[in-house]
Amino acid sequence: MARVKVATDWLAGCAGCHMSFLDIDERIVKLLELVEFTSSPVTDLKHPPKEGVTVGILEGAICNTHNIEVAKQMRERCQILIAVGDCATFGGVPAMRNLCGTDEALKRAYLDTESVVDGLIPDSPELGKPLEMVTGVGEVVKVDLFIPGCPPRADAFWYALTELLAGRVPIVLPRELFTYD
Amino acid sequence: MTMVNININGQKVSAAAGSTILKAAKQAGIDIPTLCDHPALIPVGACRICVVEVKGQRTLITACTFPISEGLEIQTESPQVVKARKLVLDLIFSERNHYCPYCEMSGDCELQNLGYRYSLDHFIYPTYTKPFPVDATRKYFLMDHNRCVLCGRCERACGDLVANHTLGLRNRGANSMIHADANVPFGESTCISCGSCLQVCPTGALCDKRSAYMGHDIQMEHIKTTCNQCSIGCGMEIVTRGGNVLKIVGDWDAAVNSGLLCKNGRFDPLYDERQRVTRPLLRRSGKLEPASWEETLQAVAERVGKANAKDLGVLASTYATNEALYLLAKLFQKELKATNVGLLNDVAPKLSDKQGSLADIALGDVILVVGCDLLKDQPVSSFFVKRSVDRGARLIVVDGKDNGLAPFAYMNLDMADIGKAIEIAQRAGNPVVVYGAGVTDKAATALKKLQGKASFVAIENGVNTRAAAALGLNNGFKPSAVKVLYALLGEQKLDDKDVFKNVDKKAFVIAQASFASPLTERADVVLPMAIWSERAGSLTNTEGSVQQVNKAVEPAGEAKPDWEVISLLADKLGKKLGASLGEISARATQELK
Repeated sequence: MARVKVATDWLAGCAGCHMSFLDIDERIVKLLELVEFTSSPVTDLKHPPKEGVTVGILEGAICNTHNIEVAKQMRERCQILIAVGDCATFGGVPAMRNLCGTDEALKRAYLDTESVVDGLIPDSPELGKPLEMVTGVGEVVKVDLFIPGCPPRADAFWYALTELLAGRVPIVLPRELFTYD
Repeated sequence: MTMVNININGQKVSAAAGSTILKAAKQAGIDIPTLCDHPALIPVGACRICVVEVKGQRTLITACTFPISEGLEIQTESPQVVKARKLVLDLIFSERNHYCPYCEMSGDCELQNLGYRYSLDHFIYPTYTKPFPVDATRKYFLMDHNRCVLCGRCERACGDLVANHTLGLRNRGANSMIHADANVPFGESTCISCGSCLQVCPTGALCDKRSAYMGHDIQMEHIKTTCNQCSIGCGMEIVTRGGNVLKIVGDWDAAVNSGLLCKNGRFDPLYDERQRVTRPLLRRSGKLEPASWEETLQAVAERVGKANAKDLGVLASTYATNEALYLLAKLFQKELKATNVGLLNDVAPKLSDKQGSLADIALGDVILVVGCDLLKDQPVSSFFVKRSVDRGARLIVVDGKDNGLAPFAYMNLDMADIGKAIEIAQRAGNPVVVYGAGVTDKAATALKKLQGKASFVAIENGVNTRAAAALGLNNGFKPSAVKVLYALLGEQKLDDKDVFKNVDKKAFVIAQASFASPLTERADVVLPMAIWSERAGSLTNTEGSVQQVNKAVEPAGEAKPDWEVISLLADKLGKKLGASLGEISARATQELK
């Protein structure tokens, strides 16, 4: 049987969810027998393949226009999209910025920080434009499964993927794997 | 009691008439989630989390406020109910900052638990981004309005339980905010920092500064005990982790205080910065030096054993357990025949054969507060008085304009005008006289006119004053006559008061103390004593109830519990006064009956 294709990517996150995913430890060997990881931010291939994958996993919040592009591309190329972590589900830590506003946050980070000399807010055309409001992934694309947690426990990743491999699509995680922190 | 039969989720339930659906369900072991409701508070049905489906009712109704009636058919988790609860949760989460990872309460938050229970895994509505202020102007705890769900528990605790009415709500809708007085910073308001609001807050909006980020409740230990800061004897829990006291919370099940505490009991003991005495000290060739317990007790036994009864003096703090005070009275008065024995605080005179209880305050229609400042010295009892004032009772303060209860009083009188107060009380249906050691002899004589009419509630100064007086330790101490003085200073704050001032410079002074002070420096022997969190025993409150105190953490250094120090000394003197805490406790309780 062909292995199920899985792609992951991150948006405005800290990579912590990916780290937590790797915390499934030796179970990853068993997982690799059943799953093919086509692309991820920590492998050579970064973008999900054009021909598509079965499962797409996104970490991080929607913070700028680049995040929207990445989220939309993943949505187009996967059948089942999973948002992992508090940032992808709720906005999480990056959403703290909403309480002061984007302009103020940029000013504080790039101009007013104590260690800054001749500060400059980056505005290269290569960069995504910061949004006024940080949100979860669900605000811009349809998400099939939300796994909150900061980060979600390794067992939550394991549970979701093994359920999918068994042909069942979880709607919500069991209580012991459902956490906000 | 009339019982009413109802049906919850197909289960037959019988509960007392007048119960709410929530109470009836709880009794039957059926869990209905709540947020704004709290068992100690009057329900208001504000948050709508507890909505249930009741057959025949037009809409979903709040279980916390709806009284049961015969034959009621209730569904507590039907699809319609769950849908409504999720909607309510989505709305609450969409207002303000309810991100858990950077909140102190995460893990112990009632809102978070509801999110888990109803699997709230993303936001349905855009989150509200208006920042609210954080008010950290109070010394002990802060208010982060961004975490507030406007359940009003704090406001109701402040008003209904503490009767302080500092907190209120201002603005409307999503802009509503809890505020103090006429919108002043909490630290500058009429807030008395009793922390009752902190204890009932379901989220991280009110946050204790000292115990913040010290772990989840599940990692902590709760030790039930009795507060050791005044004579009310409130039930409380000492919360510890890894042998450290993190915080103190009120015990909702305690008979005296029903969960309420005050600043003096909840916060101050944790911020005590006095230096502890952790080793026995013995004066050798003029210098106070560390020594072993054995040597120190030996030295004390020699001096005390050889002293004439008339040269012996005993000075005791009432910040000590029944056991310690019992042993002190037994050893020095009964065995060593000392008569020069006194306390470090005054005792309230006896004005009536029948002592009133604190609960009487709630029943009074005219309340006289005479010669005591409850708000300052026994704050929880002032809550009882203020609640009665809210209920319509007339408060007459006979003490002075500075009395903490003066602003709440219908009339403030000087002690000389006590006749006026008595005259009003005589015309009342159920007068209560709450008095302390500050009542003058003349006023005391006048108040006796109310015997048989009024309930007399004595509020003692100190802590275990009632037991100390009953054991005969308040016998009038004359410092000048003392040659060997045993001073049980305990942990009492004496504010640099020199209680040894008139004691002969050549007198041999033994200080049993928890903290270093000019008094311990003057002593010839210092016996280190455990403090409130470090020892077991019992305390007698101002009503005469004997209540347990339990040990939460190990004593600092070589310090020992108050009773054990005296017990060891008795052993050294060859007096058999009881071998174990249990035995001494039983004897003390017997003696105090």
